[in-house]
Amino acid sequence: MTDKQNQEMEDQKLLGLLAQFEDPNTLIKACNEARESGYKKIDAFSPFPVHGIDPALGIPRTILPFFVLIIGLTGCAVGLGMQYYANAADWSSLFPGYNFMISGKPFFSLPANIPVTFEVVILSSAIATFLGMWALNRLPRLANPLHRISRFKRVTNDKFFLLIETKDPKFSREQTESELNQWGASAIEEVNEDLTDQQLPSWLQLVGLMTALILLIPPVLIFRAEGMTNRKPRLHVVPDMDWQDKYKTQTMAPNLGDEKHPVYLFVDGRAMQEPIPGTIARGDLDTDSEYYRGIKSGTDSFATLHSAGARTGLQDAAPQEPSDQDTPAAESSAEPAEPDWVTQFPPNVTVDQALLERGQQRFNIYCSVCHGYAGNGDGLVNVRAMALAASGQATWTAAKSLNEPEVIKNPVGRIFDTISNGRGTMGPYKSQIPVEDRWAIVAYVRALQGTGLKPEGVTKADEDTVEE
Amino acid sequence: MHEAPPAKITSPVVSLKDNYVRLIPVSLIVAAAGIGTALLLSMDMQRFSFAYLTCFCTLMSLCLGGLFFVIVMHLTRAGWSVTVRRIAEIIAMCTLPMFVLYLPILIPLMMGSDEVYIWNVEGWSIHGDAEHKAKVLAEADYPPPIEELKAMYLNRWFFGGRMVAYFLIWGAMAWFFLGNSLKQDRTGDKQITAKMQKHSTWMMIVFAATLVFSSFDFEMSLAPFWFSTMWPVYFFAGSMLSALATITLIAICLQRTGRVTDEITVEHYHDLGKLMFSFVVFWGYIAFSQFLLIWYANIPEETFWFAWRINPNSEGVMTGWQWFSLVLLFGHLLIPLLALMARTVRRSKNFLLYAAIYLLIMHWIDHYWIVMPQYSEMVSHPVGPAAGLAFHFNPLVDIPCAIGMAGVFVALFCLIARDRPLVPLKDPRLGEALAHHNP
Repeated sequence: MTDKQNQEMEDQKLLGLLAQFEDPNTLIKACNEARESGYKKIDAFSPFPVHGIDPALGIPRTILPFFVLIIGLTGCAVGLGMQYYANAADWSSLFPGYNFMISGKPFFSLPANIPVTFEVVILSSAIATFLGMWALNRLPRLANPLHRISRFKRVTNDKFFLLIETKDPKFSREQTESELNQWGASAIEEVNEDLTDQQLPSWLQLVGLMTALILLIPPVLIFRAEGMTNRKPRLHVVPDMDWQDKYKTQTMAPNLGDEKHPVYLFVDGRAMQEPIPGTIARGDLDTDSEYYRGIKSGTDSFATLHSAGARTGLQDAAPQEPSDQDTPAAESSAEPAEPDWVTQFPPNVTVDQALLERGQQRFNIYCSVCHGYAGNGDGLVNVRAMALAASGQATWTAAKSLNEPEVIKNPVGRIFDTISNGRGTMGPYKSQIPVEDRWAIVAYVRALQGTGLKPEGVTKADEDTVEE
Repeated sequence: MHEAPPAKITSPVVSLKDNYVRLIPVSLIVAAAGIGTALLLSMDMQRFSFAYLTCFCTLMSLCLGGLFFVIVMHLTRAGWSVTVRRIAEIIAMCTLPMFVLYLPILIPLMMGSDEVYIWNVEGWSIHGDAEHKAKVLAEADYPPPIEELKAMYLNRWFFGGRMVAYFLIWGAMAWFFLGNSLKQDRTGDKQITAKMQKHSTWMMIVFAATLVFSSFDFEMSLAPFWFSTMWPVYFFAGSMLSALATITLIAICLQRTGRVTDEITVEHYHDLGKLMFSFVVFWGYIAFSQFLLIWYANIPEETFWFAWRINPNSEGVMTGWQWFSLVLLFGHLLIPLLALMARTVRRSKNFLLYAAIYLLIMHWIDHYWIVMPQYSEMVSHPVGPAAGLAFHFNPLVDIPCAIGMAGVFVALFCLIARDRPLVPLKDPRLGEALAHHNP
């Protein structure tokens, strides 16, 4: 070695000494010696796994299992939480969740969520194991100075190596070398810092560039497809999801047997069964008559209920038609007695600012188109329809002004019933508007009436309730 | 990779020696006392039969697990397990005398008793009495009723014949392995191992088939109208788990009394612990798979079985079986799952001893939970829905019966082990097993 080369070598930072051994037993012995003489930063390399090398090197057991356990438990919580949120959460308006009632099933039921939770645990544990192993081994590394030592190449074949790093407090260039020789090293090499160009190899840069370009293709295709019209039928990737084998409701199920022994899904041949007599679907047990129907409890017998239901739409609509105008007497005698409407809001409706605001919002959506924003019966639809009716192009019954005395006189229960079941030509809204929103509208209507005409006949109680 | 070190048995004592002469009568006395107490205190043959069947099925599945262990170790040419394989071979050999223990159930059955298996009576029906059955069948125009189809399989002569066949097959397979292994102890012939490996292949298939149908027969046919294709796997999962626990327990007991002290090392316990852990998970996985499919499909002819065990009865009263279900969920799955997870505990003999005993108790509770609600159903409501399903756990009957059956098992084990070596002395893989090391 010339002096110049020597000088260069000394400029390079020495990383450690690599000793070569001829067989695994010598390697283990050397590892034990190194550990016992106080070296900490040591590592062994071998063509195959050598039993007992870990204790010989003094390597503590890996913390990977604990890491995986924690990630797995986190995955369990995330998996369960995700399903809870997607099925049953009813939180703030910011994260409202998706608690939609489907087939009357409970929103959340643990057994159904176990498989997905299980899979998330397995998946997160597997990923944690993989990534954790890489991280603990400080991978990926593009280069390792050991690979620049030509002797080291035989580590994948028939040689065994022990590395002692300079970072070790006990390391000293001469002392360590003599010790390694003493422990049976057949050769010793210096490991120097890698001073070669640390840039990515150019072929790897090319691969990266190509990958990035290829990854751009799908979004480009998507943007292109968005701006185009395609008349071809779409591609069915999962055909049995697009065309499911299922029976539609209200149809006959096909006969699975033969003529002689017909076999249907159900005995009566229907594809779906009617509710069992005497049963009520989940959430439909509306026993609170004041709240659900606006009728004082104890007075809504089955008969009044039915007449209230039957009156809506059909019988009340009848007088509007000219043919029935001839027999007003018969009509009025057939009219059943008015139920005993509640005059107060039911106890579980709290009339406050929030309810009135909700009511205003719902009123503006559902009612104002006909009744107008102020309830004066001057909604856009009404105005237009009246104009058409005046020119004979349509028949239309004018929407009521809610501020007329006769409307104001009505107890809240009756207004609630009108919204629910309709009255005259007004259709029922109970399928669109939930009960609590209908009461909110009632409260808002009362508020409108309070700001409009001050009619006689409004009970003090009603006003008090509104102003609460 | 490694050259196997020379196999050398170094323990001073490798057999039960003369102790079995004393152990057999002692354990038989325990057995007689336990089962006798159960019989006396139950004061009812039917109640006793169910308690007895519970314990029988627990023990039976345990012995079958031992047989599976032996077959699968030969099938996979396992080296590590050689030192504990003899214990499993002896447990497997217990399957044959188990037939005698089944006679108290089988003989009344052949004589026409339907006290245990309700299908064992002419014209049994899910629809209750014959009149009701006729009415139901007249209304529903389904071609042949399910009872007639099932009667082709569940009738006393076919059942009895199957039982004889099962026990003969199991006995023959167990004797094939135990006998050959003992022969190798004397001759040291390596070809014997090759022969056992060769025949373990088809024996595994035969074992699977017999286990599947015997699990249907022993316990699932108690509820003859119930459907579960997952049942044999469930039975097997518990079976293998209890066999592993028993092998661990016996190995520790043998070592504590100064036998085979050098051959079975902490590495073998570690592997047994790992297998126990995995079969705890497997049991839970299978139990849940069985439950989830039935729960989700929600078909009455499947759900009733779980409804008896999980739901309050139709009067809204908790019957007590719910507690058993919860004990199984936590005690048979979640607690051992967490307890056996760490490497250090699996390498602790003391811990494994308690874990093995605990898992065996859980296994008994598992079978109790399977068998006994059928009795409650029979007694409370011979026909119709399980409105008043009662709770029939009686510690004074069930626990002595279980202790008695444990005595029977110890007696059987000693009877088969005698002064035979408790490790295969000249197995060609003994060296590998002795040098076995968990990374």
